Amino acid sequence: MQQGNIAIEVKGLSKDFDVSESGKGFSGKLKALFHRRRKIITAVDAIDFEINRGEFVGYVGENGAGKSTTIKMLTGILVPTSGSAEVNGIIPFKERKKNAAKIGVVFGQRTQLWWDLPVRESFDLLRVIFRVSQPDFNSQIKKLDKALGLDPLMNMPVRKLSLGQRMRCDIAASLIHNPPVLFLDEPTIGLDVLAKESIRNFLTEINRDEGTTIILTTHDMNDIEQLCKRLIILEEGKIMYDGETELLKQKFIHEKVIEVEFHDDGNVIQGIPGVTVVREQGCKTWLTFDNDNYGIGDVIGTIASRYEIKDISVNEPSVESIIRNIYNTRVTRATPSEESRNK
Amino acid sequence: MNPKLFLKFVSVSFQKQVTYRFDCFVGIVNGFLYVFIFTSLWKALYSQFDTTMHNGYTLTAIVTYAVLVMAVRISFTMDDSIIYRKVMDGSIAMELIRPTSFFFMNLAENVGHSLFHMMARTVPIVMISVFLFDIYIPFEVQRLLIFIVSCIAGYILVSMMNFIAGLLAFWFIEIFPFLLFKYAFYTFFSGGIVPIDFFPEFLKPLVNLLPFQYMLYYPTTILIGRASLVEAQSIIMAQLIWIVIMGAICCLMWGAGKKKLIIQGG
Ligand SMILES: Nc1ncnc2c1ncn2[C@@H]1O[C@H](COP(=O)(O)OP(=O)(O)OP(=O)(O)O)[C@@H](O)[C@H]1O
Ligand SMILES: [Mg+2]
Repeated sequence: MQQGNIAIEVKGLSKDFDVSESGKGFSGKLKALFHRRRKIITAVDAIDFEINRGEFVGYVGENGAGKSTTIKMLTGILVPTSGSAEVNGIIPFKERKKNAAKIGVVFGQRTQLWWDLPVRESFDLLRVIFRVSQPDFNSQIKKLDKALGLDPLMNMPVRKLSLGQRMRCDIAASLIHNPPVLFLDEPTIGLDVLAKESIRNFLTEINRDEGTTIILTTHDMNDIEQLCKRLIILEEGKIMYDGETELLKQKFIHEKVIEVEFHDDGNVIQGIPGVTVVREQGCKTWLTFDNDNYGIGDVIGTIASRYEIKDISVNEPSVESIIRNIYNTRVTRATPSEESRNK
Repeated sequence: MNPKLFLKFVSVSFQKQVTYRFDCFVGIVNGFLYVFIFTSLWKALYSQFDTTMHNGYTLTAIVTYAVLVMAVRISFTMDDSIIYRKVMDGSIAMELIRPTSFFFMNLAENVGHSLFHMMARTVPIVMISVFLFDIYIPFEVQRLLIFIVSCIAGYILVSMMNFIAGLLAFWFIEIFPFLLFKYAFYTFFSGGIVPIDFFPEFLKPLVNLLPFQYMLYYPTTILIGRASLVEAQSIIMAQLIWIVIMGAICCLMWGAGKKKLIIQGG
């Protein structure tokens, strides 16, 4: 590979959408040609990132943050308004077909299978499209079948599959040519716990064994926590966090929750610096403490020396709660966002 | 584009048509009705005059034209709203993530569609018509071969026309009314209703500037023997030139359109 270790490189990538009211329909568009009162949404706003080969990156953000739009640009479906991107050293919107041969794509809410054809025939068409040799195809299908349990579905027409079954087939379809880079846009929507689990295991496996670079968009933070070492958080088309998933906690969690259990009720904790009581119930008390200015050891030490305690634990917040916090603070911080985006 | 892949997609599209058998029956009746109406109209018209020849057509010749132009037109049946629908529901995205040419995949889809209509509708309609109407076709192997070549060229032109019309959805999204207009325009200016020879003089310069006459009219005139074999060769040359011109338009529109394309629905 001429690009060495870099799988995806994105520089100043932007995409605007024209959402002018008058711009709808044939006559509307014609009218809009004459008086240009336009309303533009910047769905993706000058983002930069680099993803190395073999990385497993979570790409998250609220609804409408611009995740799918980014993926559509990286897969060559959409042409960006400005900026550049390279995937496997190929510019997706210049050489769409060349790029497509080297990537796998799943859009959870759509299918790339043929609605009327049995799954097996869809796979066979993809084999021809991606010029996969018959032996390679057979061994890949065997592998995919083992991981995703495709065998009972193979002879069913796609339109008769349940959502989860279809998703498994779509994931398999995206991997028939064993692409070095895989884009997954919400591949776990609507899946049951077991299906999610098997898909997660499978993704971990191909990332580890084949070194497949995976970019995963999801609203399920368990997916992120279990799969993605690296996290990119998008907010209104801009990247607001790009780093290790673990480090997110350090960066955004300024408070930790301590759960204290006494032998009997009626104990009141007060006067410990940096600590606030949030809830008391029976023998239990929940405290938060200022993580930035006080050490956890000191706080626990002080509590243990002053009170007779039965049990004490520190709750690590989940990625979900952190992200919920990030989204929440955004909502309280600024509401006139719509306006600022309409250039 | 890989010929094997092309044929595979032709067959997928063909099979899809097979599932709509009822449509096909309706299609035969509908097609035959057209043939019946047009031939009856010509007979009625010709009986009004003493002269037996109009614009170079005897009654037999014009009836033959009416039947055969319909046969070609039905064989050229394709779904001109495919691209429009793929843009409307956003499923075009799933096609663009494949390393295949959008134009050729669209052509393959059209060919499968048309082959089905040719087998299921054209063949029975022509067979019935041969029995019912007074038809004369000069049988010469060479003429037949040139006719087939000319039909293929005409078919490519129709497919390109529909591709160009469909691509307008990249700009305007809602183009259905336009497609209806296009269909009417194509049917008339290709000679699908009345041979070009019957067009009023003031329309002829326009007709000669447009590619439509090379879609149905000229291939049909080759088969019915109105064009000599020498003329037929220059017809095919003209068709090839139009394929180059329209191919260039397809390329330019595709290049510009993909920048405009937006995906509906997430
Ligand atoms: N076809 C379109 N026309 C107009 N605006 C669009 C179009 N597609 C997306 N947008 C706008 O671009 C922004 C980003 O959309 P995008 O689909 O990328 O969001 P997302 O992060 O994938 O959200 P979700 O989590 O809901 O899938 C949204 O404000 C959306 O309204
Ligand atoms: Mg999305």
